[in-house]
Amino acid sequence: MGNNELLLDLRNLQTYFFTDDGVVKAVDGMSFQIRKGEVLGLVGESGCGKSVASLSIIRLVDKPGKVVGGEIIFKGEDLLKKSEEEMRKIRGAEIGMIFQEPMTSLNPVYTIGNQIMEAILVHQDIGEEEAQKRSIELLKLVGIPEPERRFNQYPHELSGGMRQRAMIAMAMSSNPDLLISDEATTALDVTIQAQILELMKDLQKRTGMAVLFITHDLSLVAEMADIVAVAYTGKIVEYSDVRSVFKNPKHPYTFGLLRSVPSLVNEQRKVDLPAIEGMVPSPYHMPNGCHFHPRCPFATDVCRREMPELEEKLPSHYARCFHPVEVSKEVV
Amino acid sequence: MATEYALEEVEKKETYSYWRMVFKRFRKHKLAMTGLVILVAIIITVIVGPLIWRVDPIAQLEGPYELLSPSRDHPFGTDDFARDVLARWFAGGKISLMIGFAAAVSATIIGAVVGLVAGYFGGVVDAILMRIVDILLCIPTFPLLIALASVLGKGVWQIILVIVVFGWMGDARLVRSVVLSLKEEQFTEAAKAIGVSPSRIMFIHFLPNVMAPIIVSTTLGIGSSIVYEASISFLGFGVQAPLASWGNMLQNAQQYIWNAPRLVWYPGLAIFITVLSFNFIGDGLRDAMDPKLYR
Amino acid sequence: MRNYLIRRTLQSIPIILGAMLVSFIILSLVSDPFAAMMENPKVKLADIERLRKAWGFDLPVYLRFFKWFGSVLTGNWGPSLLYPGYSAREIIFRALPITLQVMGLQFIFSLIVSIPLGIISAIKQYSKTDYTLTFFSFFGMSMPTFWFGLMMMLLFSVYLKRPSGASLLPPGGIITPGMESAPFLARLGDRIQYLILPVIVLSLNSIGSWVRYMRSFMLEVLHQDYLRTARAKGLPERRVIYKHALRNALIPIVTLIALSLPTIVSGASITEFVFNIPGMGQLILNAELKNDYPTAMIALTLSTVLVVIANFVADIVYSFIDPRIRYA
Repeated sequence: MGNNELLLDLRNLQTYFFTDDGVVKAVDGMSFQIRKGEVLGLVGESGCGKSVASLSIIRLVDKPGKVVGGEIIFKGEDLLKKSEEEMRKIRGAEIGMIFQEPMTSLNPVYTIGNQIMEAILVHQDIGEEEAQKRSIELLKLVGIPEPERRFNQYPHELSGGMRQRAMIAMAMSSNPDLLISDEATTALDVTIQAQILELMKDLQKRTGMAVLFITHDLSLVAEMADIVAVAYTGKIVEYSDVRSVFKNPKHPYTFGLLRSVPSLVNEQRKVDLPAIEGMVPSPYHMPNGCHFHPRCPFATDVCRREMPELEEKLPSHYARCFHPVEVSKEVV
Repeated sequence: MATEYALEEVEKKETYSYWRMVFKRFRKHKLAMTGLVILVAIIITVIVGPLIWRVDPIAQLEGPYELLSPSRDHPFGTDDFARDVLARWFAGGKISLMIGFAAAVSATIIGAVVGLVAGYFGGVVDAILMRIVDILLCIPTFPLLIALASVLGKGVWQIILVIVVFGWMGDARLVRSVVLSLKEEQFTEAAKAIGVSPSRIMFIHFLPNVMAPIIVSTTLGIGSSIVYEASISFLGFGVQAPLASWGNMLQNAQQYIWNAPRLVWYPGLAIFITVLSFNFIGDGLRDAMDPKLYR
Repeated sequence: MRNYLIRRTLQSIPIILGAMLVSFIILSLVSDPFAAMMENPKVKLADIERLRKAWGFDLPVYLRFFKWFGSVLTGNWGPSLLYPGYSAREIIFRALPITLQVMGLQFIFSLIVSIPLGIISAIKQYSKTDYTLTFFSFFGMSMPTFWFGLMMMLLFSVYLKRPSGASLLPPGGIITPGMESAPFLARLGDRIQYLILPVIVLSLNSIGSWVRYMRSFMLEVLHQDYLRTARAKGLPERRVIYKHALRNALIPIVTLIALSLPTIVSGASITEFVFNIPGMGQLILNAELKNDYPTAMIALTLSTVLVVIANFVADIVYSFIDPRIRYA
């Protein structure tokens, strides 16, 4: 990995939800690192804790959820030890965030301009006029045509893609060091999705910000990320740079996920891999041992008994598995 | 036909576990359970009371026994016609609860039928029915209640009718909106496609789905019907003496509030607590039945 | 916007017509207004005949409706039976301002109290504050207005006395005798004393239910994605609630308040009756009690028109708060 400065160091994060029916360990000991200017792709099915992890970072987990353990070291300081007021100054200024649903993520009763200006005014010591100018520049930057007109429009007057661009403009308004994108393109049409990805990639290159790119779609990670972290039931199960993960997936889960990306795996390997069978286990009834064992074609007794550690299987390539996949291995 | 039964089977199963869930959630609702306990206590008191306190609520005592203070012989005292207030309180409670219950249930039934018909058939039928609802909802009903009461005459059944005439519109709107959304759903399409008759679709398929909001609105409706009865009777257009209701026990309240305020307390407090209980129960039912909470 | 206003105005016309028809039918069924007059020896038979003709009682019922409708439109509302010697119009326009005062005050008072309480209740959901507020909202919702009026009278006029021995607040009426020609400020002070109890009594119901509604609308909004966006921008919590959440929660409240107006008018009529306030509500009830059916019909129609106008205003307010329907 590069020798850039560490920006975000997530250490053993634990975020639990205390519901009436029991405790749900949405994030259970998750760790990863993001360096300055780096893009980390956090991948997993819904319910793997990736969104909760991102909300934990900016400390916006809704009740009954609570961060119960771990550290979130951002620029050398633990965000979990910050006061609400200090945290507020980081949100939107140093860490920007965009969400999945551009339809519901913008307030329907205020204009796009109003909502972007607000983000600028709360963090920067400039006047309204200046903020308005800056907002229009931002709209231009994210590729919204006729920014002066769009500035005065309401969210319902914009298409889904335009709204997501506006969201990105808002998140970029104070030049954050880290941009968290939580499934930002999932709700969009494929063509629009490609445009938004292109925009994010472009902005990332131009500004040099780091990106935490959360998605369930491995193919997007291939395009966007430098590093990949695969999450399953609140834990990281595989962690390495993009090339190594795609070439040499070690965890059977990653292996299975890759299978859903035809051009990347099946074409190259020409092997008929079994699809991942079954479903993500219920958060109230986690299986013993490795949480993936009920769905794993390679599971043995030890998998049913013990939870494996995240270990280095190849240089700088970590996986949480007793029986890491061998590339040469033929799967029945 | 087999398909239709299959559809119904699925619905029945879902319905069954749904109501078990509702019951479980309702039991956890503290205010609602408090309301239920108080209400049951009031109903038992009103029914059992007269069996123990065997005094005629209508008989006027001979002699100067008007407006007596509470005593051993008359625990609640006597009223301005020298009648035993406790006996009247029991009798009046029975009448008031009965009126509230009958009026709210009838209003709900009418509203549900209108809503089902309007929502299912749409078009002109819907437009006409909903304009009627709009009109009735715009008129301040209370003055009309009074007018209608004086037309129909003054009695228990007339009061129920009066409350029903102006009480069904909310339910009609509610049921219509639920039906409109159900109409778009697949099982309606499926049922229509296999030739199920409109009345069957309405009553077998839609009705169970509108049950939850209907039950809530009926519960709250009983409370407000009791208040309506009390208000109408208070003005002298409702249940007529010598028959007692909690409302008409307050009829002359304004005159004796100065020297016998207790006569205003007993029936009024009873109305208030009863209505409060119904509102608690209604709120608990709403929380327990709200499908949004399961998501 | 103009098209919307025109369409909306056209839509209210059939509602007003329908409401007039319903009032007419029900009040026409009420016994003959002339029967009582016949028994009054002071009224001349010729006068009754003249009135009968003026109100179209010589015509079939449906024609009488049109005749009545025409006279409503032309403002020729005929004489009042309740107050001989006055016209119905004089009587009604004397009562209307008083009712508007009572209802306007209760409206403002209820809003000022219930919106903040509803917000607090929602923000502190499941806290002690929330439970307390919830309990008191139910208390207000469940209270029969007229009985609460009586109890407040009892409290402020019988139990609580001024040092002079007079009651703390007047038990009813609208003006202290002899104050009619007092200077404006003294008259205002006098009026306020008379309005305090009715306004509180009338507000209790609406405050109770509006707090509940405000709470549930607010709770709904608090779970919306755009609030998370607002927080992620680094806005202070106050701003998140009072700028982003409140405006959205107010949208359904506007409709709800407009819908509850007829109930408030109903409540006002019985409150006026209890406190002996010479407003529209008391006028309608008295007119009905005394068979003054022309006055009752006009007063009722006027109340309905007021409700329709209020709904209309609510729709316009609505379109200002919610940009999504502005040009619909």
